[in-house]
Amino acid sequence: MADRELTEILRKLKSSKSYTESNALLSKAKINLLKLKALTPTPTTSQAHLIAAREVFETGALVSIRAKDPAAFTKYVHQVRPFYDVLGDGGERKKITGLYLLLLLTQGDYAGFHTELEGLQLLSEGESVEEDRFLGYPIKLERWLMEGAYDRVWRAMASREVPSEEYSVFSEILTTQIRSEIASCSETAYPSLPISSTKNLLFLESEGAVISFAQARGWIIKDGRIYFPNQGPMDGGEGEEERSSLATIENTLGYARELETIV
Amino acid sequence: MPFRATRLPYRSVKLQARAVWTWIIDHLKRALRINNSQQTLHHEPTPSTKDTPISSISDLPATQNGCQPLSALTRSPQPEVQFTSRQGASSPGHDDDMPSKTPHTNGKEPVENGINGTKDVEMKDDAQSTLKAGKGKKVKEGEEEMTVVVPPSKGSKLSAPPPKDTDGDLTMDGSANAEGDDLAVKIDPVAKAVADIKGNFPLLEKAVALFDARFSLRALRSISSIRKRLTPDILAQVITETYPSTNPAAQSLLVAIGRENASFTKAGSEMEIDGEKVTKAGKKEPKEIIPEIDIFLGILVQIYYLDNKIVQKGAVFSAHLAERIHALNRRTLDSLSARVYFYFSLFAEQTAPLPPSPASPVIAIRPALLSALRTAVLRKDIDTQSTVIVLLLRNYLSTSHITQADLLISHTKFPENASNNQVARYLYYLGRIRAIQLRYTEAHEHLTAATRKAPSSPSAAGFSQTATKLLLVVELLMGDIPDRATFRLPSLERPLAPYLLLVQAVRVGNLEEFETVIKQHSETFRRDGTYTLILRLRQNVIKTGIRMMSLSYSRISLRDICIRLHLGSEESAEYIVAKAIRDGVIEASLDREKGFMKSKEIGDIYATREPGEAFHDRIRACLSLHDESVKAMRFPMNQHRLELKNAQEAREREREMAKEIQDGDLDEDDLGGEFEGM
Repeated sequence: MADRELTEILRKLKSSKSYTESNALLSKAKINLLKLKALTPTPTTSQAHLIAAREVFETGALVSIRAKDPAAFTKYVHQVRPFYDVLGDGGERKKITGLYLLLLLTQGDYAGFHTELEGLQLLSEGESVEEDRFLGYPIKLERWLMEGAYDRVWRAMASREVPSEEYSVFSEILTTQIRSEIASCSETAYPSLPISSTKNLLFLESEGAVISFAQARGWIIKDGRIYFPNQGPMDGGEGEEERSSLATIENTLGYARELETIV
Repeated sequence: MPFRATRLPYRSVKLQARAVWTWIIDHLKRALRINNSQQTLHHEPTPSTKDTPISSISDLPATQNGCQPLSALTRSPQPEVQFTSRQGASSPGHDDDMPSKTPHTNGKEPVENGINGTKDVEMKDDAQSTLKAGKGKKVKEGEEEMTVVVPPSKGSKLSAPPPKDTDGDLTMDGSANAEGDDLAVKIDPVAKAVADIKGNFPLLEKAVALFDARFSLRALRSISSIRKRLTPDILAQVITETYPSTNPAAQSLLVAIGRENASFTKAGSEMEIDGEKVTKAGKKEPKEIIPEIDIFLGILVQIYYLDNKIVQKGAVFSAHLAERIHALNRRTLDSLSARVYFYFSLFAEQTAPLPPSPASPVIAIRPALLSALRTAVLRKDIDTQSTVIVLLLRNYLSTSHITQADLLISHTKFPENASNNQVARYLYYLGRIRAIQLRYTEAHEHLTAATRKAPSSPSAAGFSQTATKLLLVVELLMGDIPDRATFRLPSLERPLAPYLLLVQAVRVGNLEEFETVIKQHSETFRRDGTYTLILRLRQNVIKTGIRMMSLSYSRISLRDICIRLHLGSEESAEYIVAKAIRDGVIEASLDREKGFMKSKEIGDIYATREPGEAFHDRIRACLSLHDESVKAMRFPMNQHRLELKNAQEAREREREMAKEIQDGDLDEDDLGGEFEGM
């Protein structure tokens, strides 16, 4: 019974458009999975149930991404992962994994990103992960972000390279992220910038947007140029010196003490 | 493991380390002199035990150098502290070959010589065979042989001989002698192998009787020499001669090696001297075969399976054996059970489908290993605990379940006094996990420790190669350029060749060359498991390139930077340089309108705190080295019994002293001196 109900729900899920509706359907589906004892894969779970469960979680993940609910998405990803281990590649695995990588990237969780990547490397023996449409995208973005090639990130997000509509959800977050990165780089790298070229530098629409952005960051605008107020090395002056000499004294005392205990 | 000063991050530390070492050694020498004024410090050539006519001398493996046996025989005061580290440290050769931080390894050499003059040669042969067996991956088995414990000093034996002890000694002497005879007469190798295996039983019995794990370790160590000669027939002979025919354990062992029809003949007469001794021991305690011997034979069967690649059967047998061990609760079994689990997991790893696939049996054995770990922790069984933790980490990493491995590390505490090899492995895996998690500083720390702790014997070359490879990549990721000398070591030169090319590309900052190296050697890197880490190096290459530019030019156009570093577009170059400035890679500023980068003058590094910090780091390293050396000294367990022996004398002395005090002719100096001496 639960079986038939589940297929019914899955069918409905595919056609459902609104988030609340899908969410309700998903909870029902999960209850059904629980009844079938297929919420987590066990050696006795039948293949059909495994596939159904995988489908439920995948749909859940995609639905929550569209609804911009990263917490729910992460939960679904963790739930669906054991099924991937059992079933191997298939379903929307690469898409989901790619989205998860992108999520980790936007959250700045580079350690998690690379941990995930290490696992992928082992899985796809023979074929390169970077070549894959879904997986390669976040990997390339990460590499460019680390290098500082922000223009490429920008172009990748703007162009049609985005592998699917779900991926573009992250574009907005990433844009803000790289914009603030560029801003902090500019603060130290340039003595001053003309407003007109700052527009291109920050990928902003208009000069008005530049001005409001500059004001938000506390930059000074003078004669059509932007000056960065908190530039120059912030030397702590005497405090710094005092701290360093204190450290030296402490170290030397430490050596003396150790010497005393040894000799 | 010789400590190499050159492995420290800075070359100049060599000088400092040497100075500190001479100082530490001087101090240790002084300590030794105080404790035992009679013991000679300088290493003298060990007289071959075969030359000595007194049989009991062959039971003196504890003795560190040639002169001690004599003092032991004359019952002179025993050394209170035994240095397992090389005593010849003061010999001229110690400059680049200093006593290690973990001196247990070194203590082995004299021991081997003491027991059996031929073993050293055999060890080497075995090393090669294990190298092959380990497929150059990680030569675990070979490494295992490095587990070394120095047997107790003669003093402790003389002072505290429980009744059984003498028996053990006797039989052991017998086997040693028998072996000597074998060499002379060249008796058939089967008999010799049987004798060798049996020679370990008294050791195991002694381990149980004395409750001293060192004897079982010694038995385990001899496996390496027996290993090559193992055949089902030899095993069957040993089993039939050891057990009464009704013993179920014997039956199951025989079934395992496919010799269930072997007839039981207790103590066959074909073994002249040794046979006699065994029967003698057998008569003393009839029928009682301790489980240690069962398990020991079980390990031999496992090894036989492993060496002959009978993986399926081996896996089944090991699972069985592991279950048995789990049920037994004997502390004297600890080191043996650690070994059993080790082979257990090795079999699982070699069973198809091989690890990266999610259906591999390594996943299936996880619950067994985890429950073994739980039991080991509850029983405070350090050997099994450390072995199983390492096995689990290896297991998780083989299927790249890094998060699980990380969780395991955070939920367990690796036993502090685990054997050196387990510590080295643990550190390696820890370093690997941290490297993946981008915690390079920690990874670097762990990996440096792992490479230093790695045994330097040729049988463990695989481990040190793997660890060094990873260490090199991590060093590169941290922005350091590894020392050129690392690549010149004979054991590392060839396997590290691709890494040398990589380092060269990174050092120069040549992106093109870097990409070619990756493309050319991607197979090697993938196999070593460093591929993903190496891919991360790209940004380092770019940064180095930019730094080079900034050092060579006071002003350079972005266009040139872009061309030289192959960055694709001028725009990218601008962003990348800006990021490099923000990250503190270079001291420069950009001019957007004219499109150039202007370098700033570089300050004097000696005006900063950096040299002081580097100095502090080195001093700290030396101090911790000293601390570890002190910790590594072995204090004989039964020392207090020796003191009881001497109590008589002490009491006399005390009485004398009391008398003198009463007489009032003992002055302060005398008293003080006396206390210091004690």
